Amino acid sequence: MDDILQRIATCIERGKVNATSPYPPDLKGQDGAHELTKAALEMGVSPSEVLAQGLVVGMNSIGRKFSENKVFVPDLLMASKAMQAAMVHLKPFFESGEAKHRGTFIIGTVQGDLHDIGKNLVSMVMEGGGWEVIDLGVDVSTEKFLDALKSHPGSAVGLSALLTTTMVNMEKTVAAVRTQHPDTKIIVGGAPLTAEYAKKIGADAYAPDPQGALDYLVGAVA
Amino acid sequence: MSAAIPNIESKSLMTGVERIGNILKRKPVDRIGLYEHFWGDTQKKWTAAGHLRPGESLEDHFNFDLQLFWPFNMTARLDYVPEIIDENEETVLTRDGNGAVLRRHKLHDATPEHVDFLVRDRATWEEHAKPHLSPDRARIDFEGYRNARRQAREGNRFFAWSGTNVFEMMHPVCGHEYMLMGMAVDPEWVCDMVDTYSRLAVSLMEILFAEEGYPDGLWFYEDMGFKGRPFFSLDMYRAIIQPGHRSTIDFARSHGLPVIMHSCGYVEPLLPGMLEAGIDCLQVIEVKAGMDLLALYRDYGERLSLMGGIDVRVLYSNDRQRIDAELRQKIPVVKGRFGYVLHSDHSIPDQVEYDSYRFFVERGMELGRY
Repeated sequence: MDDILQRIATCIERGKVNATSPYPPDLKGQDGAHELTKAALEMGVSPSEVLAQGLVVGMNSIGRKFSENKVFVPDLLMASKAMQAAMVHLKPFFESGEAKHRGTFIIGTVQGDLHDIGKNLVSMVMEGGGWEVIDLGVDVSTEKFLDALKSHPGSAVGLSALLTTTMVNMEKTVAAVRTQHPDTKIIVGGAPLTAEYAKKIGADAYAPDPQGALDYLVGAVA
Repeated sequence: MSAAIPNIESKSLMTGVERIGNILKRKPVDRIGLYEHFWGDTQKKWTAAGHLRPGESLEDHFNFDLQLFWPFNMTARLDYVPEIIDENEETVLTRDGNGAVLRRHKLHDATPEHVDFLVRDRATWEEHAKPHLSPDRARIDFEGYRNARRQAREGNRFFAWSGTNVFEMMHPVCGHEYMLMGMAVDPEWVCDMVDTYSRLAVSLMEILFAEEGYPDGLWFYEDMGFKGRPFFSLDMYRAIIQPGHRSTIDFARSHGLPVIMHSCGYVEPLLPGMLEAGIDCLQVIEVKAGMDLLALYRDYGERLSLMGGIDVRVLYSNDRQRIDAELRQKIPVVKGRFGYVLHSDHSIPDQVEYDSYRFFVERGMELGRY
């Protein structure tokens, strides 16, 4: 059992989606995350174990390497694609309640900002880390964040901004969330952001990269 | 009405053409160079406040040393009339001639969001984009180039053809995510896009320059990084992107034209490859993404001219003491090899007050004299 979970983790980390995928070249022709996840479940490995010891291990590893500049965006995107191929098999178990996420993470770029690459990378790493991700997209108003929190009580929130001209909108959203949902964990990130700015506007944490967001939340809910 | 800045030119010994020409070769000049990019809202605000005359050029007002003009349209299907898919009070969703669905803000300046793409892989590239990318004269704004070149000559400014290079030409067609995944899964596909676009750019430049005359240099916009890291590794740069840079820069070199390359984001790990490709100057050195002007000067200043690297967050503090401190920390060092042009580390948003920017220019020029 450990062997197949290790192989799933490797496929996630290396971005090996399925048997027909030519990437990475040294795994060409071998089973990928799609086949191995299906096989693990058929062997009787629990969905929670597949998630925790396969997907999460693989995504944590690639996320950490990304933080250390040992891998780059193409590697992270391929890992995410492999993870999504595995998730197809786990989804029914999440829907039935047999498998559980670590928590729910609501994410969006703040009002006025249409840049989504950074947000998408964070979403991928959070999902791979075992979190249910509610992606509100770009240019998200404070009201939309509040509505999502109403629908998903107890969720953590991530706010992203690329532009100096839009990061000021974060403060409004953070203040509104703090007022209506005071226990909500709020993480902010994006090019113009700093830890000092995050503190100033009342966010709980500044994440310099996707793994930073995941590490903070894992620590915060432990 | 605020008067244009006269003291710069009256005390200067060189023209903008001479100055930037020398700066790009790191040869002696009378002072550091001066150039800037602005958000459109900034010019509107400063004009409304009476600091600029309606329609007054920022190049003239601040006596910039450079003038750029972007004459090419690299959209795949030139004949395609953008189709509005959805519209509300704040945004409009359209499909463009690249087959991309874009969401644009109607109320303020912002880069459009790319929502969806027809081109997602090699097959869709070959079907929807590649056959259309021919060196059609309709892609070139001859008149705009001619007028801008003349205006630059009249103002004694260094005139640069400007436009995107291959990385920035590809993502409007297929988006960053498909392009970056393609670099991993099907590098030959992305290499084919690089080759197609670099050949097209060179062909169009040959047509334009033969008819309208050469610029003083080329300026390529090529955003290859984001906060703390480039989009891809140096190995991927060398294997996939660099061939396109080499072919466009070789064209420039063959006509004696220096090359300035702009990149937002943290691109320092790619610099060895960009130098191999032949760039003369790196712009914009984005501090908030992790770029460090002084470190770049220390490590690359003998081989590379630099433009930018002054933290725009300091400018929009509108605090003269902070602006002065930022300039005093950097200018006396980076002017050392004659290879520096004053510019913010991105562009000037409308939070920057006119008087703050004017102080930045005047103090920067004062510190930048030789």
